[in-house]
Amino acid sequence: MLTHTLNVLLSGIFHAAILFLVAAGLQLVFGVQRIFNLACGSFYALGAYVGVSAVNLLIGAGLPPQLFIGALVLAGLALAAVGPVIERLLRFVYDRDEAFQLLLTFAIVLMLEDIIRIIWGTSPFSTGGLYLIYGGVRVLGVTIPVYNLIVIGASLVIALGMGYMLARTRFGRIIRAAAENREMSEALGVNMRAVYVKVFTLGTVLGTLGGALVIPATAAMSEMGIDLIVEAFAVVVIGGLGSMRGALAGALVVGVLRAIAISTYPEVEMLLIYLIVIAVLVLRPRGLFGGAAA
Amino acid sequence: MTTSRRRFLQGVGAAAIGGGVFGAPGILRAQTKRGVPSDPVKIGVLAIRAGVAAPVGAAGQRGVEWWADRVNRGGGILGRKVELVLEEESSPKDTVERFRKLAIQSKVDVISGGISTAVGLALGPVAEEHQAIWLSWDATTQKGVEETMPRPKWAFRSVDNEVEAVGGAVLTAKYFKGVKTIAGINNDYSYGRDCWDAFLAVLRRYTPDVKPVLDLWPKLGVTDFTSHIAAIQQAKPDLLMTSFWSGDTTIFLKQAAAVGLFKTMKGCFTTGGGVHDSLKKSFTPEGLILGYNSMYFNHVGGSPLLKQFVREYLAKHKEYPPYECDHGYFTVEAYKAAVEKAYQAAGQWPSKDQIVKALEGIEVESLSGRRSYRDDHVMMCNFFQGITTHKNDFDFVTIDPVEVLPTTRIMKPSAGAKLYDWINATFPLKG
Repeated sequence: MLTHTLNVLLSGIFHAAILFLVAAGLQLVFGVQRIFNLACGSFYALGAYVGVSAVNLLIGAGLPPQLFIGALVLAGLALAAVGPVIERLLRFVYDRDEAFQLLLTFAIVLMLEDIIRIIWGTSPFSTGGLYLIYGGVRVLGVTIPVYNLIVIGASLVIALGMGYMLARTRFGRIIRAAAENREMSEALGVNMRAVYVKVFTLGTVLGTLGGALVIPATAAMSEMGIDLIVEAFAVVVIGGLGSMRGALAGALVVGVLRAIAISTYPEVEMLLIYLIVIAVLVLRPRGLFGGAAA
Repeated sequence: MTTSRRRFLQGVGAAAIGGGVFGAPGILRAQTKRGVPSDPVKIGVLAIRAGVAAPVGAAGQRGVEWWADRVNRGGGILGRKVELVLEEESSPKDTVERFRKLAIQSKVDVISGGISTAVGLALGPVAEEHQAIWLSWDATTQKGVEETMPRPKWAFRSVDNEVEAVGGAVLTAKYFKGVKTIAGINNDYSYGRDCWDAFLAVLRRYTPDVKPVLDLWPKLGVTDFTSHIAAIQQAKPDLLMTSFWSGDTTIFLKQAAAVGLFKTMKGCFTTGGGVHDSLKKSFTPEGLILGYNSMYFNHVGGSPLLKQFVREYLAKHKEYPPYECDHGYFTVEAYKAAVEKAYQAAGQWPSKDQIVKALEGIEVESLSGRRSYRDDHVMMCNFFQGITTHKNDFDFVTIDPVEVLPTTRIMKPSAGAKLYDWINATFPLKG
């Protein structure tokens, strides 16, 4: 029983780790720029594809395959370059109705999906068996793939890093100020345009890094971003829109609930998650951590 | 928005194909036969381009394109050049529109394509309404396991949906004796559900006390199965059955390998051969049942035609062809043979009615061997399933031994027959 509980819990946390990174990007951008960026799912897909290409380059160059994590992290970070370009596009809709913003980010989702298909084709694209290279550890009779632990650890480090950055650094204070009151921050001399570019780029990197990190354990498919956005919705509603802590809590709730549902009543996996979403919307509309900006 | 972006892609695709057909050097100037018009035969092609089934759509289309190039090089059909008109298969509603466009606006002679069952159910009646010959690749007009159009005039359907599950159960009984408990993980829609039910029904004919201990229904496109695998480990079945056919097969096998799932149980992947070259040896174990429906690229006993196809496909697309290629290839090859057969009787290019008559019962050489259309317009072919092995020159698994399962043995004998009555009367198979 203990073995099974641990197994289910770990599988849920693994899922939550990936969800968190995408949802964190979503939250950061919403908190500061007030744009609900659907394209965060596409950044995740982009990270996955570029990650596989980077790993293939690494192997092609004859470097030891154990270094593949380095290639993945570099790929995720390098995709920061996409952030400013898309932020430039979003600048046209900052002051417009939310519907326009949603439409524009959804257009970006569809365009990136086609671009992915043109560059990488339609077949599932993966790093082969690299996932298994670090082997597994046995804890209480459960085999845990070491790579899953690495992903969970990386997600945790990023969460802590984000928390530190927001709470303790000058840039974090500026972000929180900008989220709280844009006009006042500008009046006090904050260059909002620069803050927006930086924040959006950071949000982008959270997504691309998430995609790059998860890819050894799965395979890249052009529509993988869209599926994740739907789950990220649930995370954001449960955790509270715009809150970083909410992203972490929401991801954990969704990931672990999903795992429990699958191992007990697999038929109700979706039902259960959205039941919680509705309950939160009715009982606590701002989410578990809503209200506190960023 | 979606439509316009896809139209754009279609344009690109059509231009590419058009270029291939018209621009290929060495095409003989068509010499049409007596009573045969000189303009090209137009073949409408419906292929999925987006989503998890996009690779399947691409494979079917490539099979048709390879056929068209070959036929054009050989002088066309009765001297008429072949021209492909490409359209996208997507949702049933949009695909019906495109089907109508092909039939009415592009005035194609025949429409080849259709993979999704939902699309097939929608296209069947539309083909009848427009009197358009429709040769489906993989789509049936079954609702659940029952046929909705037992006697269509213009629609020619694929094999029944659950054939590969029937074949998988037969091989499970043969190779994995002693299996008492089974778990299933299948996609949450009619194909997945029908395959699981049919698999269980057939296996029970061999092992009456076999017990299902878990059935999981992830939706199509899931990329994280760690929680599902945890549930399977808990259920500890003797065998895991799945009808996964797309990238989820690859992902599942990888995540299963990370926890050594198949060290403790057998596995039957009835349809996983659809993504065969992504099933790398590093995470796909030997000893699983794996199905390559209706064409197996590495079949030692395969025809010279198959070998030529595999060689040229590899050179052009840098990968080994999946089975859907032959669904595409067969439909158009059957059309060609039917036109030629009907021409013998008519003395001129046959009418659509005459072509349909000729298609009924036609048998041609396809990439996977002899393939035919039954009189009730259902495709008949061979299914290839076997046990995964690492003993080959590829970095992915193949099967050895290869079991060739003809639809005469593993598919109900007529569109109108009741599946479970037939299963109960037929299995266990003799001999």
